[in-house]
Amino acid sequence: MLYYDQYHVPETLDEAFDLMHTNGGNYKVLAGATDLLPWAREGRGGDVNYESMIDISKINDLSKWQLQGKRINLGANVTISQLLNNPFLRKHIPVMAKSAVWFADDQIREQATLGGNLVNASPAADATPPMLAMNAELRLERKQKGKIIHRKLPLDEFLTGPGKTRLEAGELVTRVECDSMLGYGSAFEKVGHRRSLVLSTVCLAALVSLSDDGQVFEDVRLALGGVGPVPIRLKESEACLISQPIDSDLIDKSAVLAVKHIQSRTRQEYRREVVYNFVKRGILGACKDLNTTFADIDTDMKHRGNYG
Amino acid sequence: MASLDIQMTVNGRPVKQSVSPHLRLLDFLREELHWTGSKEGCGAGECGSCSVFVDGVLMKSCLMPVAKAQHSEIETIEGLEEQGKLNVLQQAFQKTGASQCGYCIPGMMMAATAALRANPYAGREEIKERLGGNICRCTGYQKMFEATELARDVMNGKLTIEVLKEENEEGPFIGSNSFRIDTSSKVTGALKYAGDMVMPQMLHMQVLRSPYPHAEILELDTSEAEAMAGVEAVVTHRDVKGIDGFGVFTDDQPVLARGKVRYVGEAIAAVAAEDLLTAKEALKKIKVRYRQLVAITKTEDAIKPGAVIIHDDVPDNIVMHIPIRKGNVVKGMAEADFVIEETYYTQAVEHAYLEPEAGLAYLDADGTLVIQSPSQNITHHRQKLAKILDMPVNRVRMIMSPVGGGFGGKEDMHYQGILALAVLKCRRPVRYVFTREESIIASAKRHPFSIKYQLGLNRDGLIQASKIHMLADGGAYNCSTEGVMRKAAILAAGPYAIENLMVDAIGIYTNNTPSGAMRSFGAMQSQFATECHLDLCAEKLEMDPVELRRKNFFKEGDETHTRQELGSVSMLEVFNSALDLADWETGMSNSRGATRSDLAQSGNRPPCTLGARQIPLETIPTGQAS
Repeated sequence: MLYYDQYHVPETLDEAFDLMHTNGGNYKVLAGATDLLPWAREGRGGDVNYESMIDISKINDLSKWQLQGKRINLGANVTISQLLNNPFLRKHIPVMAKSAVWFADDQIREQATLGGNLVNASPAADATPPMLAMNAELRLERKQKGKIIHRKLPLDEFLTGPGKTRLEAGELVTRVECDSMLGYGSAFEKVGHRRSLVLSTVCLAALVSLSDDGQVFEDVRLALGGVGPVPIRLKESEACLISQPIDSDLIDKSAVLAVKHIQSRTRQEYRREVVYNFVKRGILGACKDLNTTFADIDTDMKHRGNYG
Repeated sequence: MASLDIQMTVNGRPVKQSVSPHLRLLDFLREELHWTGSKEGCGAGECGSCSVFVDGVLMKSCLMPVAKAQHSEIETIEGLEEQGKLNVLQQAFQKTGASQCGYCIPGMMMAATAALRANPYAGREEIKERLGGNICRCTGYQKMFEATELARDVMNGKLTIEVLKEENEEGPFIGSNSFRIDTSSKVTGALKYAGDMVMPQMLHMQVLRSPYPHAEILELDTSEAEAMAGVEAVVTHRDVKGIDGFGVFTDDQPVLARGKVRYVGEAIAAVAAEDLLTAKEALKKIKVRYRQLVAITKTEDAIKPGAVIIHDDVPDNIVMHIPIRKGNVVKGMAEADFVIEETYYTQAVEHAYLEPEAGLAYLDADGTLVIQSPSQNITHHRQKLAKILDMPVNRVRMIMSPVGGGFGGKEDMHYQGILALAVLKCRRPVRYVFTREESIIASAKRHPFSIKYQLGLNRDGLIQASKIHMLADGGAYNCSTEGVMRKAAILAAGPYAIENLMVDAIGIYTNNTPSGAMRSFGAMQSQFATECHLDLCAEKLEMDPVELRRKNFFKEGDETHTRQELGSVSMLEVFNSALDLADWETGMSNSRGATRSDLAQSGNRPPCTLGARQIPLETIPTGQAS
C-alpha cells in the first residue's frame, strides 16, 4: 500500500524542482502512477510511505512534441495512447503506434507516459526497443543554485539494468528526442502470456529503409527487449544487411546473429526460437510496410532448432 | 493527519470532501462516497473491476491517486441507468446472461460502454480488444461480447428493443432464455458484496501471517500493538473459548496458529482498529519468535520413513487413502497384449475469483453473532463456529453475502473465525477485506497430483486391467482433501468398463499452501490422466482415439468401478452427438498433420485470432513524405 501526507501537482518544471528541494529526499516523483501503485504492494515494494508525492503529469510543457530538423522532440509526459492515436506522431514515428497497441490495455495507455516507461527501466518495457531503434536521447534536468541545468544521454547509456538507470538524485527526465522515421518501413513484434496487460517475453522493433528500386537495404535498425537486463540494439544483425540486397540467406544470417543476445534467466530455448523468427518477420514486415514485394524470400515462421 | 480537499463531479453531481491524501480514486468512491459499484479485484490495474470514466476516458481507478482526479467528471456504473431504467447495454448484459457472479460487471459494463462510445459500429474483434483490460472468471467472455454486439445493433436500429426482452416471462422456463434473478442488481452496481458493506462504529481488521512454511511459535507478544491508540482488539489463539479447529472434513486447522505454523501465509494474530493504516501499523508491533522446522514441500518426502511430522496426531502424514479393488489386476495385466505406462502431473491452481475474500461481522442487539461473508458453506461454518466459540448454535448466524466467484475456494472458513473472535472481544462491527495477494497466499488451491498410470489392453483395444496410483499434495491442512480423494478415486478410471482395477488415491500433508475444493473436486486431475493415457494408447495401437473409447464405454448392465449396477447408460449417444457437433476428423491423433483442417468450415469457428487490434494500419503513413 502506498501512503503519503502530501500530494503536489506542480504546473511548471521550476515548481517541481523547488518541491523536490523542499522535501529533501522524502518524496517520490510520479507521472502516470501505473507502475508505482502496483509496485507498492505485498511481495514487491510492500507498504511504502513517502512524505510527499510530486505529480509531474500536469506540467504542460512536458506533454508537447515538435519536429526539430529530422528529429522529433517529445515531452516525457506524452502518453502511450497519444503515441497510438496522434496523427502527427503516427506519421513520424509509426513504430511507436505499433508498439503502443500491444502496451497494457486501452485504459492504462491513457495514463502511462513515455518518460515513465523509459525511467522505470523494465527489461521488457515495450517503448524502449522502438526508441533505441530511433536513436533516442534523453534530456535530464535538475536545478542547481537556482538555475535549471540539463545534460543529454543516449537511451542505451541511460539504462544500466533492470530498474536501474543513470538518473541522479534531484534529476528528472523531461524530454525524449528521436529520429523522425519518414521514409522507413517499420514493424513491432511482441509475445507474452496473453494479449492484453502482459509483460513482453520478447519484443522487437524493426525499421528499414530501401533503395529507390526497393531491392537493397539502405538502413536497418533492430532493437530487442525481454531477453536480458536491458533492451538492446542488434548492431551486428543490422550491419549484415545494410547496403545488401533483400536476400533470404542474409536475413536468415541476421536473425541467427540476434539469438546470442539472449541472457534471460528463464526459457532461453523458447526465446531463441522467438527471437530468430521475430527478427526475420520484423525485417520482412518493415519491408512490406514500404510496399515492397519479394518473390524468393521464405516468409514462414519456423522451428530452426540450431543457431550455431 | 494531513488532509486533501477533493472536488469533483460524480455521476453528474458535485462532490466536495476532505480526505486522506493517499487515497486512490477507487478508495474515494467506495469508502468516502459509498459508491461501491466499482470493485477492487486486484488493486494492481490487472482486472478492470474498478474501471470508471474520468473526463470521458475509461481509466482504472485503482491506479489513480484521488488527487489526479481533482476537478474531474467521474462516471461509474451507478450512473448508467436512464431515468431509473436499465439502459440498452445493461439490458443486453441481462439478456445474454453476461453477468454471473457479477463482480467484474461494473468494470466490464464500463469497458463495453467505452467500446461503443469509441466506435458505435465496433465489430467483435474490436470489442474483444477494448474489453482486454477487464478480467472475468465466470463466463469465458462470450456472453459479454454477445451482449455488447446486441446492444450495438439495438442502438443502431438494426434490431428492435424487443430482442432484449426475456423469453417466456411466465414460463415454461426450461429451454427458454430466462434472466438470472439478481441480474439487474448486478448490472446497476447496486448489489452489495461483503467488502462493500459498512456499519456505524465499524473497525477494520488486518491479519499477521506466517513467513515460514513450518515453524514453532516460541513467543507471541501482542502487548505493544494492543497499547496503540486506535487499536480496539488484538486476537490470537488465546481468545478461543471453545474447541479450536475447523475444516470441511476434519477440524485440523486452528482459527489462529496455535504453537506452530504449517504454511507460508497461515494466520497468527489479527488486529481490529479504527482504520486500515492503524491496523497495518499495529501488525508490525506484534512480536513473534519462531523456531524454524524442516519443511516438507514434496509429497514423496512426506511419506518417507522418518519424515518430519506435520500434525502430531497423524504420524504418517497421510490425510486420507482411498483404495478401490476390483477383479485381479495382476492377472489382467499378464493376459493383456500391451501394458502401457506413464506418469502424469498436475499443478496447484488458484481459483482467482474476482472478489477477494471479505467479511463483515457484528453483534445483534440480542447478542447474536452475525457474520456476512461470501461463504460457500454457511451451515457448516455455523456449526463449527459455535463449537469454537463455545456458543449455542442459535447465537451464531452466518449470512451468505453475494459470492463474487467461488469455484470451491470459498468453502473453507479461513477468516470468519478470526472476525468472530475480534467482534466478541471489542463488541463492535469488524470488517476484513483481503487484498488479492492475501487471497492467493492464504486460500486453498486445487490439489496437485502425481498419477502413475498403467493400462493393460488387447490388440483390439479392449481394456483388460487398469492400475492407477495417485499422490495428492493436500498442503498443510485437510480442508477438502478427504472428499477430493474419494472423488478422484471413484472417477479415476473414467466411464469405461474395466474388469480388473486397482485405484489408490492418497492425500498427503505437506507444508505447502492447503489444497481444497476446486471445480470438479479431484475428478479433473484423474480424468486428465485417464484421457491423456487413452490417447497415448490409441497412438500405440494405431487406432482412432474415438474408436478406442467407444469400445470401452460402460453399457447397460455393467458394474461401475465401485460396483453399482448401471440401469441405463447414454454415454455412447452423448459421445456421438458431441463428435458430430465437433466435426471430428477420424484417424489417429498423430496422423493429421500440423494444422487442423476442420476449422472455419460451415458451422465451425475460424482459427483463434489473438492478434493486435486491427488498428487501421493503412492510416499509419508508411514513411512516404507527404
